[in-house]
Amino acid sequence: MISTSLQTFQETLSVPPTLIPSSPQWINFVEAMTSGPFATYAKNSIIITLSIIVIQFLVMIPAAYAFAKYEFFGKNVLFALVLIAFMMPGQVTFIPIYLMMADWGLIKTLIPQILPFMSNAFGIFLLRQYFMQIPEEIIEAARLDNASEFKIMWKIMTPMAKPALATIALFSFVSHWNDYFWPLVMTDSNEVRPLTLGIAMLKQSEGISNWHIIMAGNVVLVIPILIVYLLCSKQIVKAFVYSGIK
Amino acid sequence: MKLKYVLSAMAVLVFMMLAGCQGETEKTSGTKSKEGGTATIQFWHSLGGKNGEFMDQLIKRFNDSQDEVKVVGTFQGAYDETSTKLQQSISASTGPDVTMLERSYVQQFAESEVLEDMTPYLKESGLKKGDFTKGLMGHSTFNDKLVSLPLNRSTPILHVNKTILDEKGLKVPTTWDELNEVANALVVKEGDKVTRYGLTMPYDTWYPIAMISQSKGTYFNKDKTSIGFEKNDVGVKVFQYLKDMQKTGALYYPPAQDSGNIVNQMFAAGKVPLMFQSTGVIGDISQNTDFEYVTAFLPKNKIHATPTGGGNVAMLAGSENKEAAWKFIDFMMEDPKGLQQFIVETGYLPFTEKMVNSKEIQDLWAKEPNKKTAYDQLKYAVDNNKSVVWPETMHEFFSAIEAIMYDDEEIEPTLNQFKGEVERILSES
Repeated sequence: MISTSLQTFQETLSVPPTLIPSSPQWINFVEAMTSGPFATYAKNSIIITLSIIVIQFLVMIPAAYAFAKYEFFGKNVLFALVLIAFMMPGQVTFIPIYLMMADWGLIKTLIPQILPFMSNAFGIFLLRQYFMQIPEEIIEAARLDNASEFKIMWKIMTPMAKPALATIALFSFVSHWNDYFWPLVMTDSNEVRPLTLGIAMLKQSEGISNWHIIMAGNVVLVIPILIVYLLCSKQIVKAFVYSGIK
Repeated sequence: MKLKYVLSAMAVLVFMMLAGCQGETEKTSGTKSKEGGTATIQFWHSLGGKNGEFMDQLIKRFNDSQDEVKVVGTFQGAYDETSTKLQQSISASTGPDVTMLERSYVQQFAESEVLEDMTPYLKESGLKKGDFTKGLMGHSTFNDKLVSLPLNRSTPILHVNKTILDEKGLKVPTTWDELNEVANALVVKEGDKVTRYGLTMPYDTWYPIAMISQSKGTYFNKDKTSIGFEKNDVGVKVFQYLKDMQKTGALYYPPAQDSGNIVNQMFAAGKVPLMFQSTGVIGDISQNTDFEYVTAFLPKNKIHATPTGGGNVAMLAGSENKEAAWKFIDFMMEDPKGLQQFIVETGYLPFTEKMVNSKEIQDLWAKEPNKKTAYDQLKYAVDNNKSVVWPETMHEFFSAIEAIMYDDEEIEPTLNQFKGEVERILSES
């Protein structure tokens, strides 16, 4: 992909394909980024994925904490509902959600791309398992020290679950950053579209596609994922290594 | 504890952003209504890449030419995706005013009565249906209503690497027999491995339908109760012909995913000297190859025949700015700076007599005769897959092609099964 992004158009056409471009064409990146409102696309991508992750954390942590450490009426039924939500593919729900968002007049905003992902069933499930492994004694000790439940959740439980949170954040980031279907369905105008749609637009409908330009766009699309992965990777390894021990 | 600060900072950020979005709603919600005498209309299209840029330039030319109507053009994905988006947006009343629609989907939308009848607008502008090229109007009318007009139209043609043919002393094939002979003569093998094939075509229903029509078959039968290519084994013969060539290496049938791009690249690299492909690629190929490149009619079997393809333009019945929408369509149809210029730039087919006779198109053809082939071939245009249920049966046809071309399934039973599916779909419609 990186190789193609630096080739000339003629090179992309050659069979067998060349691996190392004869002279790197950095101009491809400029061309990819100037062929549409890419600053807007990038801004939207960042707003959408960050908002989703933050909101998910705000919803997920209390939910997982409650499921892990409290007994309340209907807990099992509620948890079953979470699991059902986990198994529901997005393609099933997009029409009712689209109609609802259109009804509320939100189609020309970023909200339809954020709101449906407020909660993350997989995250709640994973975090609950993680919280359940944290010994009750720690919480009781905190309670004896007069810590509020809120404080226990944020200051004790959350930091201990950092590896799980990093994993969830990464999964969430990758899936929403790369999402093509949902934004395509939910948006009608370029002002609110993310990078994935912008890059799809580089592709020719008929004729020979400019692979060098498309690949340059894709490199730009993938770089943030690599960065986030590098940032999270240590925590993710921890999540898998320690999860069995506690 | 650092996490907490990060989280709270992010939370503040999110709420600011959401507040920002709210502001945006107010700003954009007024676009559909008139603002100070300017009507803004939404135009959806499926053109990406270079063609998308040419479309953007067309829209800009229109917007600059006057100040009453402002067109906002938006790319909505490939043809299929655009049509899905249309279905959903129409039911939510968030649809555009004007849209591009792949010609074979027109009937489906027209049946749901969501496309405006453009006849009165056409009259107002002093245009007649007869001004348009007959071969391209096959999908434009539904129940005597004019529901769409041609936009970026194309037909499949034969693309030829004449340099290689000349080396071998071969002529450009004009019939199936010649094609079979030439394609086989072009094959180069190293041991068991084919290093040069004869003929290729993208994985698409377009080309089998062309070949069925050339053998005097039709996709649907006359009464639209079944398929129309089982008489005299037309369908079996078409696929047998392809299969025989595939076995000897004379036909390279590409993998399904991105097949169009694959065959274009093989052709441009000189790995396949003959290719059935849309007119849309002429510009790219002639610019980026150094062999002698010519285009020709699709070889005939019993008769010459070609399906047509590409996109039409339609006005949505739900549009609030129909006059403005027509103004834009009329500009595209009639103004030399409208589609005529787009066609010169892209290589799609001119579709009115006025365009064909214009200096720009005539100059273009004089300079690049390759671009004239498809227009000349239009006199053999047939649209025998015109139907409300075509998109539904298309998927079944794709499965049949896959089974035969990729999985070596027996041709006759596969086509019989396909026939059964088509009959079921037709009887339910």
